[in-house]
Amino acid sequence: MIGYVPGRSPLHRAHPYTTLALAGALLLGAFALTQPLEVWLLVMAAAAFAAAGGVLRASARTALLLSLPIWVLLFVLHGLMGAEPRMVVGPVTLSVPGISRALVLGGRVTAIVLGFLTALATASPHRLVEAMTAGGVPFSRTFLLASTLTVLPRMRERATQILEAQQCRGLRLGGSPLARLRALGPLALPLVLGALAEVDEQVLALDARGAAGGARRTALDPPRDSAPQRALRWTVLALVVVAYAWKFWSMHR
Amino acid sequence: MTLRDLVLVRLGVAINLVIGQIVAALLLPIYLDAVGTILVAALVGPRAAIAVGLVSQVLNAVISGNFSWLPFALVQVVIALYAAAAARLGLFRRLATAVPAGIGMGLLSAACSAPISYYLFGGVTVGGVTVVTTVLRALGAPLGVAVASASFATDLLDKAIACALVSVLLRSLPRTLAARFPALAR
Repeated sequence: MIGYVPGRSPLHRAHPYTTLALAGALLLGAFALTQPLEVWLLVMAAAAFAAAGGVLRASARTALLLSLPIWVLLFVLHGLMGAEPRMVVGPVTLSVPGISRALVLGGRVTAIVLGFLTALATASPHRLVEAMTAGGVPFSRTFLLASTLTVLPRMRERATQILEAQQCRGLRLGGSPLARLRALGPLALPLVLGALAEVDEQVLALDARGAAGGARRTALDPPRDSAPQRALRWTVLALVVVAYAWKFWSMHR
Repeated sequence: MTLRDLVLVRLGVAINLVIGQIVAALLLPIYLDAVGTILVAALVGPRAAIAVGLVSQVLNAVISGNFSWLPFALVQVVIALYAAAAARLGLFRRLATAVPAGIGMGLLSAACSAPISYYLFGGVTVGGVTVVTTVLRALGAPLGVAVASASFATDLLDKAIACALVSVLLRSLPRTLAARFPALAR
């Protein structure tokens, strides 16, 4: 599950900026914390965040799938190949500091992934665009975030069509790495040149919709913000600042 | 940013993400996830290219669900600035200059990405680069050396090919299309 899941949880009803601020705080906090216990408390906070959005099971499952390869590589690179001292666990000897570092790094990735999957699942893209418009964010920024996602499937479809067309003309995708590299040109060139040829058409279409003017747009149904939510956003920002101050103070003590 | 820049940024982001799909279909051991950033830097300039790099990084995270790699957005900014400077010097006009420019870009981006990979992720980022790191570590290289060597090896190859591809793209532009981008004439 990656993407918005409709629901009526407190996070679904919250202002999108609040949800994103909480996920952002998890991301920044994860890089500020350096002890296994601290990082795993953050993972618990990310799980509580997902539970508040009513998406704990789905988010945790996807987060686990996404972070599993990282956990495996961390175990090999730090647990098995880490520095002395070592401890014997069954048939293998593991590095004690390596396992501790793997727990911090793996917990960090898990907390970030879980936090942002929850934010993606509970903050509707439509409400986010409305909130940005109501907040006076320039059209160019909302356009870039919202519209690029719509152009991607079109480009992917065109890439598939070009791939099939070139294969019909005898393009071979297999062989040595050099042969496969040579196949890149006949695939990438028509895709990019075709897209560049359409730029002026798209500029005209946007101009016709009044996108060139700097006038402030009116949001039709902006999400409601409130004083407690604003206070919550400032509080998490303050917590992140405190976490970094603590980190640097501990480093130079 | 003009409307044309805006449309080109959107196009650059799509190129960054879709070329990666083509590379995966060809089973090539590279990423080519900055072709759009380099192309827009050459066509328009650094500001739009930085926007391409940053938006690509965020959208890649949205699509894959893995937001851990957001700190690597810094590398995209460095690539955008370097590519704009290289384009201004006319290095993408010929393959003979584009490939060395790509090697320089690879050195710079590896110098940025290796410390991020080492300090923030302990050298573990998903993809071929971590496999190379693990092999070097198994051969006895210290972790820092293994991470840096893997980053330099993959980035040099990746960026040299990306710059060569952009050079071919720019030279393949029909004159009527190239005339619409005054930065190309500089």
